[in-house]
Amino acid sequence: MQELLLLSSKAVGWLVALLIIVILVEVGLIVWLILRRRAQRNAKSAASVIGKWDLSAGDEGFDVEKVQRRERTKTVIKDIFVYVFLTACAVLAFLPFYWMIMSSFKNEDEYRQSVPTFWPTQGFMWRNYSSVLAQADSNGASFWQILINTLVVGILSTSIGVIITVVTAYALARMDFKGKNALFAIMLATMMIPGELYTISNYLTVLKLNWENTFTVMIIPFLVSVYYIYLLRNNFMQIPNSLYQAAKVDGLSDFGYLIKVMVPLTAPTLISITLLKFIGTWNSYIWPRLVNTTNWQMITNWVTRGFSDKVEPYLYPAGSQWYKGESLNTLKMAAVCMVSMPLFVLFIFCRKYIMRGVSKSGTKG
Amino acid sequence: MANKKDVGPSTPKRHNRFVRYWINLGARIKGWFVDKWTAIKDFFGGFRNRNPKQVEADLVLNDGPQLTRGEKFRRGMKAQSGWLFVAPALILMLVFTFWPILAAFINAFKQNYNSLSGTYEGIGFENFVRVIRGDTGTGGASFNQCLVNTLLFTIISVPLSTLLALIISVALNSIKALQKAYQTILFLPYLTNSLAMGAVFATFFTIIGTEKNIETVGLVNNVLQGLGLAPVEWIKASSPVWNLGAIKIPWAKYIVVIVYEVWSGLPFKILILFSAMQSINKQYYDAAKVDGASRNTILWRITAPMVSPQISYLLVTGIMGGMKQYTAIVGIFGEQMGTNYDMGTVVGYIYRYVDNGQYGYAFAGSILLFLIIMVITWINNKVTKKHTTYR
Repeated sequence: MQELLLLSSKAVGWLVALLIIVILVEVGLIVWLILRRRAQRNAKSAASVIGKWDLSAGDEGFDVEKVQRRERTKTVIKDIFVYVFLTACAVLAFLPFYWMIMSSFKNEDEYRQSVPTFWPTQGFMWRNYSSVLAQADSNGASFWQILINTLVVGILSTSIGVIITVVTAYALARMDFKGKNALFAIMLATMMIPGELYTISNYLTVLKLNWENTFTVMIIPFLVSVYYIYLLRNNFMQIPNSLYQAAKVDGLSDFGYLIKVMVPLTAPTLISITLLKFIGTWNSYIWPRLVNTTNWQMITNWVTRGFSDKVEPYLYPAGSQWYKGESLNTLKMAAVCMVSMPLFVLFIFCRKYIMRGVSKSGTKG
Repeated sequence: MANKKDVGPSTPKRHNRFVRYWINLGARIKGWFVDKWTAIKDFFGGFRNRNPKQVEADLVLNDGPQLTRGEKFRRGMKAQSGWLFVAPALILMLVFTFWPILAAFINAFKQNYNSLSGTYEGIGFENFVRVIRGDTGTGGASFNQCLVNTLLFTIISVPLSTLLALIISVALNSIKALQKAYQTILFLPYLTNSLAMGAVFATFFTIIGTEKNIETVGLVNNVLQGLGLAPVEWIKASSPVWNLGAIKIPWAKYIVVIVYEVWSGLPFKILILFSAMQSINKQYYDAAKVDGASRNTILWRITAPMVSPQISYLLVTGIMGGMKQYTAIVGIFGEQMGTNYDMGTVVGYIYRYVDNGQYGYAFAGSILLFLIIMVITWINNKVTKKHTTYR
């Protein structure tokens, strides 16, 4: 049985190797085809310059059906080629996720086998998850504490940030005031400067304000994001001016116009911004690590911890080498799964908005 | 003179210059107050007693003699009320963006800067010199090692993933069935947490459990063995290294990082290139077909030039992002960034300065990073400008 398992695992390993080879070969083929075509074209043009056209080749009549059949065969071959290539890429793109999920269900012994199995053959270890959930670090920060931190910070900073973004973008798009263009240019210029430059100064500011280990320190410094203001401003600019005049005639104030007309019209962009801002909080690592101690940190910081079998309920019997031992990779994979899953759920439900927002703003929150 | 004499008799009493001055001054002061009082009354009264017809006429004429002073002032303030809307963002940016940038440029030149007391010993380029020479007492790999690491990761992985993304999006653009499904799956790696996925990639490459009498080689090494090659130590301290004087190149670790970077960089690039290809006007293709252009000609004469602005954009943003790489390395190699920080990046090194309280070096390092990014972006712009077609 074990032999069979090993064999099947090897087979899957071969499959992965095959996929990589397929991709390499296809890329090579494409490059070769292009080069050959170029060479042919060059030769042809050279020939035409010299005047050595060989007309006799095309003299044997023009069979429409034959040409059509050849075209169809060509298309089918090309389609097969393209689909194989895309499938190979998709499989390789998805492989890490599959590996992550399967590893989180494995027994540590099985995980460390010399030839890894592609399916938890020794039963699904759902208890990996309960063990991870039960863990707390030396400061008493459990998963739930960290999750609450992340959610509170995420919701507050996203909602306040979106309000500020909307108001600022509206002023920059619709209102006239002295120095508007200069202000906008300066704001855009800050996008050029790497965040590290001001993260350190901000850290010193925050130290002076005694803001360590609060939610404030996580929320306030990152409320304004110039990318989103820019994105939303451009969206506001696209709304025709006649709508504004119509609203004015109907007696709407500037603010009423913003709330009742502009926000509904740019709802897709606003949803994208909200989602990306929240994902940004969810993935934040550097800033919380810098300013907060463990029980005030965010969920990504929590993942970088080591997880070992040291709390009730114990996963392995007392004699096992994993019992109260080193940190276990399966537990880490379970934690990684727990952090990644909400993002996937979000992606499944809001795919359109996330993809649109990403393609427009090009940021990760 | 004659005029003065004419006026003189009409006024009953003519004071001397001194008295006249004080009387005038009193009248001027009173007049100033009366004036302001009417203006204020105007301003507040205007809200209640505004004649709608008058307002309409004002709107048409915009301004003119019929406007009271209060009204004028109100109009003036209203024209600037945009500042009220941008105020929250502006104040936050002043405190957390503009001031920090200024402070970074000032503090980078202060020698032995102490952030808490604000004391320093002289101003000069010593911080920069020490950072470049690695004379900062930080321990572990030097700043230059980290710079070489970062540059090599970026220069290898960004063009590689851009080329692959171009090929994949061309393939994606040429199919009809299942297009959305493939696009979704290929976009999936974008949404991940780089620390979490770094840990997963580490498990692909790592050799685990040799110390526990179980000989394991990891997935990638299985594939290598399947191809008849010897397994390589990818992650740990004993991984193979090229020594180039002061700089070490642990190439096996580099491969891990580059594979990760290509994998995680692809989704965004595919998304941008694919949506650019979708938005190309179909008439170009029809015209090319009528002219009997082959598929390759269409690809290299229409599609590629049309997406060239996006390619240059992706190269610029990719290089900027690559130079700031940090979290993925921590995810793969742990908080120590490899063995004794030998896989460190520039940003990682800057944060190590911060952790050690060496803020002057941290500022100097981040300004160096900024300059390097500027130079690379400038070179990139120079190069791509020649080959980019803007619509």
